Amino acid sequence: MRVRAGQDFATGILFAVIALIALYIGADYPMGTPQRPGTGVLPRILSLCLLGTGVFLIGKSILFGDVAMERWVWRPLSAITIATVLFGLIIDDLGLVITMALSMSIAALGASDTRWREFAVFLVIMMVGSWALFIWLLGMPIPLWPVRVPKFLTFFFG
Amino acid sequence: MRRREFLGRAGAAVAAGALPLSGARAAAWPDKPVKLILPYAPGGATDLLARPWSEVLSKVFGQQFVLEHRGGAGGMIGTEAASKATPDGYTFLFTPNATMSVLPNLRKTPYDPMKSFDPVGRAGDLVTGFVIHPSVGPKNFKEMVEYAKANPGKLSYGSAGLGTATQMRLEMLKFKTGIDILHVPYRGSADALNDLLPGNVQMMNEINVLPHVKAGKLILLNINHSSRNPDFPDVPTLTELGVSDADVPIWYSFWAPAGTPKEITAAFNAKIVELANGDDMKGRMRAINSQVPVQTPEEMRAYLDLDSKRNADLIKAANIKLE
Amino acid sequence: MDVFSNLALGFSVAVSPINLFWCFMGAFIGTAIGVLPGVGPVATMALLLPVTYFLTPEGALIMLAGIYYGAQYGGSTTAILVNVPGEASSVVTALDGYAMARQGRAGPALAIAAIGSFIAGCFATVLIVIAAPPLTRMAQQFAPADYFSLMLLGLTLAVVMASGSIVKAIGMIFLGMLLGLVGTDVNTGNTRFTFGISDLFDGVGFVIVAMGLFGIGEIIKNLGDPERRDLVSSKIEGLMPTREDLRRSAMPIARGTILGSFLGILPGGGGVLGSFSSYSLEKKLSKTPENFGKGMIEGVAGPEAANNAAAQTSFIPMLTLGIPSNAVMAMMIGGMMIHGIVPGPQIMEQKPGLFWGMIASMWIGNLMLLVLNLPLIGMWVKMLLVPYRLLAIAIFFFCAVGVYSLNNLNTELYFMAFFGLLGYAFIRLGCEPAPLLLGYLLGPLMEVYMRRAMLLSRGDPMVFLERPLSLTFLIIAAVALILVILPNIRKARQEAFQE
Repeated sequence: MRVRAGQDFATGILFAVIALIALYIGADYPMGTPQRPGTGVLPRILSLCLLGTGVFLIGKSILFGDVAMERWVWRPLSAITIATVLFGLIIDDLGLVITMALSMSIAALGASDTRWREFAVFLVIMMVGSWALFIWLLGMPIPLWPVRVPKFLTFFFG
Repeated sequence: MRRREFLGRAGAAVAAGALPLSGARAAAWPDKPVKLILPYAPGGATDLLARPWSEVLSKVFGQQFVLEHRGGAGGMIGTEAASKATPDGYTFLFTPNATMSVLPNLRKTPYDPMKSFDPVGRAGDLVTGFVIHPSVGPKNFKEMVEYAKANPGKLSYGSAGLGTATQMRLEMLKFKTGIDILHVPYRGSADALNDLLPGNVQMMNEINVLPHVKAGKLILLNINHSSRNPDFPDVPTLTELGVSDADVPIWYSFWAPAGTPKEITAAFNAKIVELANGDDMKGRMRAINSQVPVQTPEEMRAYLDLDSKRNADLIKAANIKLE
Repeated sequence: MDVFSNLALGFSVAVSPINLFWCFMGAFIGTAIGVLPGVGPVATMALLLPVTYFLTPEGALIMLAGIYYGAQYGGSTTAILVNVPGEASSVVTALDGYAMARQGRAGPALAIAAIGSFIAGCFATVLIVIAAPPLTRMAQQFAPADYFSLMLLGLTLAVVMASGSIVKAIGMIFLGMLLGLVGTDVNTGNTRFTFGISDLFDGVGFVIVAMGLFGIGEIIKNLGDPERRDLVSSKIEGLMPTREDLRRSAMPIARGTILGSFLGILPGGGGVLGSFSSYSLEKKLSKTPENFGKGMIEGVAGPEAANNAAAQTSFIPMLTLGIPSNAVMAMMIGGMMIHGIVPGPQIMEQKPGLFWGMIASMWIGNLMLLVLNLPLIGMWVKMLLVPYRLLAIAIFFFCAVGVYSLNNLNTELYFMAFFGLLGYAFIRLGCEPAPLLLGYLLGPLMEVYMRRAMLLSRGDPMVFLERPLSLTFLIIAAVALILVILPNIRKARQEAFQE
């Protein structure tokens, strides 16, 4: 389906916005001399190229039409993202077992067809397997059980 | 590991309350595996020096001395992690002087080498020197200096990176002899060696060049150390060459997070000294072109202070800047 | 020629029962590790290094080498089955390999990857035996200026690789290069785009970007799309490649092997280009380039062969000069040092048994991997029968643990979450992540080589045109770019007129 503002238009906006941010941050990087190009040269060149590409895509979509974007799925998007971040927040302090239970359950909320009884069995199997693989066999420095109250919680609750 | 730290903290607290005298506590240490944090990725020079230590220490103490590599940000990430570890005698830092006496003079570090760590023992000094590619011409140190004076800026020198001790060695040489050599920073010494062997850069100062000197592919000009390298008995030290106070040592050492029980660091130091004097360790270190000087923790602290001041002066004199 | 006596010596060392056992252990552990996303061969080798002290030097190095090429095999498996590339070379394998898996052809994809790798491994081993010293000299002809031009050529290949819009692919390359600059500038020590976060001083690890863009992005998309995702597990056709598959794969494997063998020798990042350039080449040569990215077996066979050949020939600088061209080779050198062997140019003369034994074991190891992996294909494919609602959660977890295992840094999980979001956005925007990843890999290398070349030429840019190698690469890059862009301009014009 051809539309006025779709995939290309949105890509163009994304490229242009990133390029402008990079230009802004990179504005005070030293440029050096032509003989000794400095820290800022390549970031500047690349940002301008990216900006150009973005503008081209926006123009093209307006002039010649565009492909419609598919619907965004917010539920798995937020579930998986939150689960990943949570994993990072608590793995050090709460250990493998609790981290797996919490983060994988949140990730499972992202699937509309999760069968919770099946999931519970799956989770236990995964926990035993992960303990055997990562801690017992590979000796990764991950605690199995909680060690202390996570930092971000102490931050909120004193 | 975190669990062990937690248990260790509890154990240390109990022990601290129980016994004022050192004997029993130091004798009990270590009663579980000890972690040595290395602030670089596996496979580099730090790893190379740490391996024989971890192996021999594990043997004599009867507990595993485990290496944990925490590379990144020029060694800052691993060093910071070690500074924040529980000071219970079960986590130590194994590092070259770059993170302790060079980096803190160049940029703000999230640790203070003087305050965040207690000295434990010296682990080895590298006994190497400047090499030059044979295609250039000079056959010894004097000829190299003459060549560089006659052709200012023509020679280039590859270092393991900005702000590494190998760059400091070049800056010191330039400063002391007044010659002009172009500094080219690389991402690690292997990367630099790659450009040195075909002669894209002409000079370097690292331990990984020595096998190529033996094979006749490079010429060793001098030794940057207080004594000669027994494998190259004919190559003089800088001092012998009349360039005094020009050594920039590259030295490796053990450090404990500040607050580690003194009995433990003392016992650890005693064992390191004993091993360093033994023929086994001497032989292992010689194989990787290193020597282990013997120092008490107090001497080591003073040595760090001296080394840090020397690097600070050099950085100022040579106008080296990061950030 | 004493090649045969050398090889005979090598095989006499490598086929001793105990060394065969270590070779098998290495290959087996490597495969198992490689399958886990993020848990790479370097970490495993570091872990096992103390153990190798109790082995003979030959046994130690044979096992360590086995871990390395075993991990290469394992990495392709994960890329094909669940679209999670654990390293640079599997990114390319994931493109058509995963597409094949979605069509129920995971079996043939895995089998052709194993067969292609085996053939490439055999060829590369022979190449090391007969030509290691001259190839080393050839690699030393490359100066920083030549590497720069080679990287530039590599980037134009990324444009060829794109299966959708060329403009978007170019934009993704720029974006990838820009992301690659995050971290500390090697030449000046300045930090760029780090927002003051010290965990960004070394940039974001490639594995994190790749797993986020491919693995996590794909999970999000599939979870939101119940009808389509069941296609993965509903129909499975045949485990082994058909006669037609083999016929179509033969030439790509041959070309990929040669390309990978030569690029692998270059210690300055040439190996990365192997699988990417093989893919671009096959696509250019194909009669149906539009089907690439939709499950073309050529797109798996060629790059896999190139990758394994490059992995094998990357041993050459380490063996002949003692220079580690990557972290894995550095670990091999660590393994030698433990046994008091100083790596360097003299190893070949001083320790011929070790040197030739290791080379012979590479061939044996490749054979073992083939024997080990072909029967496993059935098991891997069955894994896809696990309902996707559970498989997705498992993939998520393995990605998370894998990222954490890299450096035990919590922040790296936040980075992966970010790249997961970005990966999903790219899917919706119709942007392909592969060119971004190539830009991400090559951009920083290119900058380093460019500035190093300028430094060494004392600021004379003519160095890029005066060196014959560099000039050749630049000309090929220009021609390739014209060949790609011309038909597209014509096509765009036609489309515009039709509107």
